[in-house]
Amino acid sequence: MTSTYIYGIASAEHPSLPDGMGGIGEPARKVRLVKEGSLAAIVSEAPEDLRPKRRDLLAHQSVLSEAGGGGPVLPMRFGSLAPDDKAVAAVLAERADHYQERLSSLDGKVEYNVKAQHDEEAVLHRVMAEDAEVRTLTEANRQAGGGTYEERLRLGELVVSAVQAREAADATELQGLLEPAADAVSTGPESSGWLANLSFLVDRGQAEHFLAAIEHVRHSRPHLDLTVNGPLPPYSFVEPGPAEPAGTE
Amino acid sequence: MTVVPAQQSGGGGGTSGLYDVLELVLDRGLVIDAFVRVSLVGIEILKIDVRVVVASVDTYLRFAEACNRLDLEAGPHRSPGLPDLVGEMTESGARGKSKGALTGAAQTISEAFNQARDEGQAEPKRTRRSAPSRRKEEQE
Repeated sequence: MTSTYIYGIASAEHPSLPDGMGGIGEPARKVRLVKEGSLAAIVSEAPEDLRPKRRDLLAHQSVLSEAGGGGPVLPMRFGSLAPDDKAVAAVLAERADHYQERLSSLDGKVEYNVKAQHDEEAVLHRVMAEDAEVRTLTEANRQAGGGTYEERLRLGELVVSAVQAREAADATELQGLLEPAADAVSTGPESSGWLANLSFLVDRGQAEHFLAAIEHVRHSRPHLDLTVNGPLPPYSFVEPGPAEPAGTE
Repeated sequence: MTVVPAQQSGGGGGTSGLYDVLELVLDRGLVIDAFVRVSLVGIEILKIDVRVVVASVDTYLRFAEACNRLDLEAGPHRSPGLPDLVGEMTESGARGKSKGALTGAAQTISEAFNQARDEGQAEPKRTRRSAPSRRKEEQE
């Protein structure tokens, strides 16, 4: 028995759903629609033994990107399986109002994910400029031909704590600088080790404004290395709602 | 097999790492409790070799070494306003990329400190993520 894989939920009126596009699986399963009332689920057959392989994750993302280009779509998290199409239709019917509400509130909005890390050399320059003790110790160690193990350890500990303090401060500052240019912000998954991983909900029409804010940060904070991804389907804003996304204060 | 997600063409916002998006695909997005989710055991793609600075002896030694290599003169020559220096040079050197700005900043600072003896330390060790689009190497 084959189950049904769900990519996302859109309005049945959505003008350009990726019906027929290649989806997950090897060979790629064909994307189709399950319509129920005013809603449509973007689905395909699920391959046996579906795993979170890179290829499939990308396919999931591609289908949603494609769909999101033409109108609002609620992106599913990767890996959602229903026993069959009927089960999908039943969920659409049961929660139609909720999904309609989410779709209309996310209409015209996209997600930009911004990750920041320190450029190590630049942040060291900065720490050095700001911290007299670090400068003194560095100089002492240098004059001692590098310093003893203990001295290097002491300097390193001092520097690390200064850099860590900068990480925290810069994360807060970055959010403060970009938030005004977005409708909502959501703190991203923490696992990947960036000093900041932030997702912003941005109106398509305001995207340039948001990107200009990014550029401004790049110019004014050269010790921050920013990685920007977007526009994306609003993964981080499907629940509970853009007014109060998970992870905001 | 290459899949080029649509967002890469329309972004204009910067370097695009599929890596960086996939965590959202796995961790965010709508979850419907009536549906089953596949197991995420054995994910291969989330091995991101970026790290925040963690406190450990190794890190301490590495940073102490990095400071030595940085070779800024301390004490009397301290920079009164690094951000200002940086701000001044962004026009000439940066072209919108943080790395470009950084390079210029580093040079400016070196000058300010009248730094003489860093010939040998041309290549700062890159322990950070090797960004695919590292811009021009610093000119030493």
